[in-house]
Amino acid sequence: MDISFPVFQPESPEAQAIFDLFVAVLWISAGIFIIVTGLIVIALIRGRVRVDLPKQDFGSHRREILWMVGPIIIVLWIGVISMKLILTMNAYPKVHPPHDAPADAELIVIGHQWWWEVRYNHSGRVGANEIHIPVGKKIRVEVQSADVIHSFWVPQLGRKIDAIPGRNNFIWLEASRPGEYQGRCAEFCGNQHAWMNFTVYAHDPKEYAQWQHDENVTLASVTESAAEAGEKLFFSQTCVNCHTIDGTAATMTIGPNLTHIARRKEIGGGVLQNSPDNLRRWLKNPQAIKPGCKMPNFNLSDEQVQQLAAYLESLD
Amino acid sequence: MTTQAIESTAALETTLPRERLLPWVASVDHKQIGIMYMLLSVIFLIIGGLEATLIRIQLAIPNNTFLSPEMFNQLFTMHGTTMVFLVGMPLVTGFANYLIPLMIGAKDVAFPRLNAMSFWILAFGGVLLYFSFLTGSAPNAGWFSYAPLSTKPYSSLLGVDYWIIGLAVMGVGSIAGAINLITTILCLRAPGMSLQRVPLYVWIMLMQSLLVVLAIPPLNSALALLYIDRSLGAAFFEPARGGNAVLWQHFFWLFGHPEVYVFALPSFAVISEVIPVFSRKPIYGYAFVAGSSVAIVLLSYGVWAHHMFAVGLGPAAEIFFAAMTLLIAIPTGIKIFNWTATMWGGSIRLTTAMLFAIAFLIQFVIGGLTGVMFASVPVDWQLTDTYFVVAHFHYVLISCIVFAFFAAVYYWFPKMTGRMLSERLGKLQFWLWLIGFNGTFFVQHLLGLMGMPRRVYTYADLPGWGLLNAVSSASVVFMIAGTLVLLWNIIRSLQHGSPAGNNPWNAYTLEWATTSPPPPENFSSLPEIKSRRPLWDLDNPELADWKFSSTPEDTLSRPTKAKTFAWLFVVSEAIFFVLLLASYVIFNSQTDQQGPTATTALNVPRTAAFTVFLLASSATFWLAEQGLRAGSRIRFLTSLGVTIILGVIFLAGQAIEYKGLLANNITIDRNLFASTFFTVTSFHALHVFGGLVALSIFWIFGQQKILTPRWHAPVQAVGIYWHFVDVVWIVVFSIIYLGVL
Amino acid sequence: MLRAELWNLNSPVWIVAAVMMINYMLLFRPINVKRMLAILSAIALIVLVFISPVGVLADGYLFSAHMVQHLVLLLLVPLLILISLPSERFQRLRTSGILRGNATPIIGWICGIGAMWLWHIPSLCSAATESTGIGLLRDASLVAAGLAFWWPVFSPRQEQRLDPLAGIVYLFSACLGCTLLGVYITFTTISVCPAFTNPTDRINIVGHLYDLGLTPTVDQHLGGLLMWVPPCMLYLSVILFLLSRWYSTMDDRLSLLPQRPVQAGSQL
Repeated sequence: MDISFPVFQPESPEAQAIFDLFVAVLWISAGIFIIVTGLIVIALIRGRVRVDLPKQDFGSHRREILWMVGPIIIVLWIGVISMKLILTMNAYPKVHPPHDAPADAELIVIGHQWWWEVRYNHSGRVGANEIHIPVGKKIRVEVQSADVIHSFWVPQLGRKIDAIPGRNNFIWLEASRPGEYQGRCAEFCGNQHAWMNFTVYAHDPKEYAQWQHDENVTLASVTESAAEAGEKLFFSQTCVNCHTIDGTAATMTIGPNLTHIARRKEIGGGVLQNSPDNLRRWLKNPQAIKPGCKMPNFNLSDEQVQQLAAYLESLD
Repeated sequence: MTTQAIESTAALETTLPRERLLPWVASVDHKQIGIMYMLLSVIFLIIGGLEATLIRIQLAIPNNTFLSPEMFNQLFTMHGTTMVFLVGMPLVTGFANYLIPLMIGAKDVAFPRLNAMSFWILAFGGVLLYFSFLTGSAPNAGWFSYAPLSTKPYSSLLGVDYWIIGLAVMGVGSIAGAINLITTILCLRAPGMSLQRVPLYVWIMLMQSLLVVLAIPPLNSALALLYIDRSLGAAFFEPARGGNAVLWQHFFWLFGHPEVYVFALPSFAVISEVIPVFSRKPIYGYAFVAGSSVAIVLLSYGVWAHHMFAVGLGPAAEIFFAAMTLLIAIPTGIKIFNWTATMWGGSIRLTTAMLFAIAFLIQFVIGGLTGVMFASVPVDWQLTDTYFVVAHFHYVLISCIVFAFFAAVYYWFPKMTGRMLSERLGKLQFWLWLIGFNGTFFVQHLLGLMGMPRRVYTYADLPGWGLLNAVSSASVVFMIAGTLVLLWNIIRSLQHGSPAGNNPWNAYTLEWATTSPPPPENFSSLPEIKSRRPLWDLDNPELADWKFSSTPEDTLSRPTKAKTFAWLFVVSEAIFFVLLLASYVIFNSQTDQQGPTATTALNVPRTAAFTVFLLASSATFWLAEQGLRAGSRIRFLTSLGVTIILGVIFLAGQAIEYKGLLANNITIDRNLFASTFFTVTSFHALHVFGGLVALSIFWIFGQQKILTPRWHAPVQAVGIYWHFVDVVWIVVFSIIYLGVL
Repeated sequence: MLRAELWNLNSPVWIVAAVMMINYMLLFRPINVKRMLAILSAIALIVLVFISPVGVLADGYLFSAHMVQHLVLLLLVPLLILISLPSERFQRLRTSGILRGNATPIIGWICGIGAMWLWHIPSLCSAATESTGIGLLRDASLVAAGLAFWWPVFSPRQEQRLDPLAGIVYLFSACLGCTLLGVYITFTTISVCPAFTNPTDRINIVGHLYDLGLTPTVDQHLGGLLMWVPPCMLYLSVILFLLSRWYSTMDDRLSLLPQRPVQAGSQL
């Protein structure tokens, strides 16, 4: 079984720096623990065999103060190395007032109950629960919330930061190597806090260009008959009241953007893998899979589910 | 003496509950109330423990459907709330109630009836909180109830309302209890017991009670604001309408972090008694242990934002709060050193109490060290809100509240009942808990490092997650078994335990000078108190402490009870108002406010006139006090009457102001100015009203000529409160009406 | 920090320092080394906060630098001055009106906390930054208020010192007072001292400061935190000092007395 400790497997310079700090603090703590426990154990072993009245020692100011020196030095040292990191990791855009420069975040991530909206500032594209970034580039991410407080966390790539309504937070996102990095919501945000996962895909330059290209391809019009029926259903049912599909009449942003849903790996914030079967299960009754989620059970017939799924599958 | 003690215990046990119950319910004896606190705590420990067990069952395997997410969220919310407010608080208060009067050689606490009231209020608050289950929705926003999740749009059911009211009620009980204990310690010490000579338990509990008085008011203001948001439609925490989502966190943790020390200090107190006795030595460096507790109280007020490092407070605030947090590790480190040094060179008896004390010490060091990791902000950014933090605070809190207090139970049970607990069962319980606790919580550190967030109702089947969670869940069985062993031990020992005698452990402090259990008046005679260990002096006259380590003599001056009470109450209320006013300042310094503001809506000259009436009432009250002191009933009654009339006129002025505002359609939900204005002024008016009621009572007493000199102190106490209400109004008036700041 | 413009070596503060030094030497002879050190540190601090970059930046650039200056003048300098006063000399003095007034802790408390609050009312704070005259008045009033504040704790006249426990309450409430102000300055969205938001760039440094991240918002955060944490740390240290005074006659000294024979290994 390959157990992984993402906090201990940093894949970005920032996560690496935190990891190094953590390891240093961990060693110090281990040292202190061994010293204190050792002293207690020795005192116990020696104290258990002593039967006569021990010396009534009321303490010594000098020893107390000497003892304090060690902890004070350690605490100061931890403080200083933490401070250095706090300052270097600050992602808040530099503003030179009085001429306020606009915040130049490349990515905006918005927490919703219980999914993540991802906006690519330069292309204007919008995705959900998947973030695509090029390898080796430090990207400033603006983190917001649409409802309650969430927390954006990709353990292998660095710190977490809360997504707070009415407030814009910033964080650096960078990956040193191509790969898929699990991210989660870390702040309790209600019923389905458990299923608010997302994935960061770090691509090498070629792959990234390909992804950008695919992302900009306009959707082909639907040809298959089942999918066509599904499309009709999508626009006649309440689906359009919440979702967007680029290039169509569906433009609402309450639920996740579905433009390239067929390409996503997971649905429902990680509750299911994205497969035709699972998509049908989801459409049949989302409440059975993610109880309490904001998408109601529309009581669709099996045939309708089939058609809708076929349509969504065609959104590649 | 011993046989007598056994008889009384036997009587306590064998008579039927029906005849025995009423004296308990109606009791104002600090020992009985203390025991009731402990029983309440045990009942809720079982309930909170069951909730925890259900949580662990749900998490034992991945993708479990044993509990619905809704149910899970209710359970972890109630688990946290119960353990903090209904297990921790009553347990530490119960022991303090029982022990403090005995340790300082007093007959009872300063205000026995207030003591009973505090207990029943707390119990009532607990019932209120659990009543929410009957309404179909227990609170489910977490014990921290972060806004805006806890506001109406996101938690529309009644659960959160019960949570707010339950906590507010319990908070009142806790503050009253804490003030009572402080007053007891300051005013009722036996002759010879100078404050420098009180047992460390008493000194540390004095600090803890002070902390309760200082820390609960911020929670009450936060609860008031949240309740006004939820029920009256204000928007303190609703960003869409100008509110501030982070403000709740500031207020909550301003209470929440000192609360951690409210739990840690009592365990330090217990350990500082247990370790010296079982090492047959005095505590090493009394002044350092006592002084470091003072430092903890002061520092604990400045570290709250370390719960908020993920919020994005900005580097400056993060660095300062990190520094403060690291700093608070030092006084705690001093204590660890002193306890270790006390054991060093001692002659150690490994009784069950001592075992629990040592386990506390070592586990607390683990919890403390992970705490230092969180003080290093970047590490916190990775690990906060994961299972690592769950492991961290359970190491701290279970060490403090459970392990240290198991030590307390084994140590003081003989005093409370006259019977010894079985050491054999005790050691069995110790090992069961040691295995169960570490098995459950140590692996949670690893889960945190694997990236498991806290408060999730289930998780995907990732490698290792299922296994570690299963280990964590399975270990709970040991803790349950250990608890059952303790209960069995208590029941068995009450009947068959060997008689304890007055001082089974050869302990040093005054509670061991009386019978076990102590008689209702506590002591028939007190030994001479010339040092911190009066019983040691008695047993070892040639090695008496006062010969080797002299302590400042008792000056025999004690503050008056009523005034001490009044000052403490005023301090607590002042903090409550300061936070309400802070919210006023925060929301009204925003320049982009829509709708009415202080300058457009308020009539300053008219209110200034009514302010004069209120301030004049302070002067007339002073005259009333002078009249009372001079023994002139007429002067007292006239001045008091005028005071009451002036107060009523002020309230009438407030009513006119409110009427005008409402006529202009300025209601509490109109905008943040209106919300903050009505909140601050109506809470002030409520206090004026309360003061008027108290004044009227004295006026009626005066009419009936039962105003004897013993009423001087209460009148003075009410006077302190009345002047305080006026001072608050001066501040309110300058900030709201005159726009200072 | 080494750039010449950041130092104001020609400041008139040297004159104040010289006057203080001469007066002290004349008034309080014979000289005691400890007290001499205290007064020298006090004078050195006064000089430093005016000639060093702290002083230069406090002059219209950085609110946080101003705050450092403010705190040194209000808290550290008066404390050191009081320590430097020989108690024998004051013991012999007849209680004059001013001294008696200072002895009332309430007045000292109001002076100390009042000086903090008063000079951070936006209009006053800006005025003191922009006008040299008001600035001087402020600096002088800070030292005076500081002397009044510390008087009940470190008065050279023993009988005017507060009982240690009362002293603890005195300082703890003072700590709450400056905490409140610090929290307010840190978290408020308005500018507490508008003079610092738009500095006239005399020495061409504003760009560097902003690049260091010291924008007006961050600067005010920092100032608020300075107002809050260091004074409280100072009060806390003094509280601990008072506690040790309160516990004084004990522990250490007496445990060294001969006792019953002690067996080996029982000593730490």
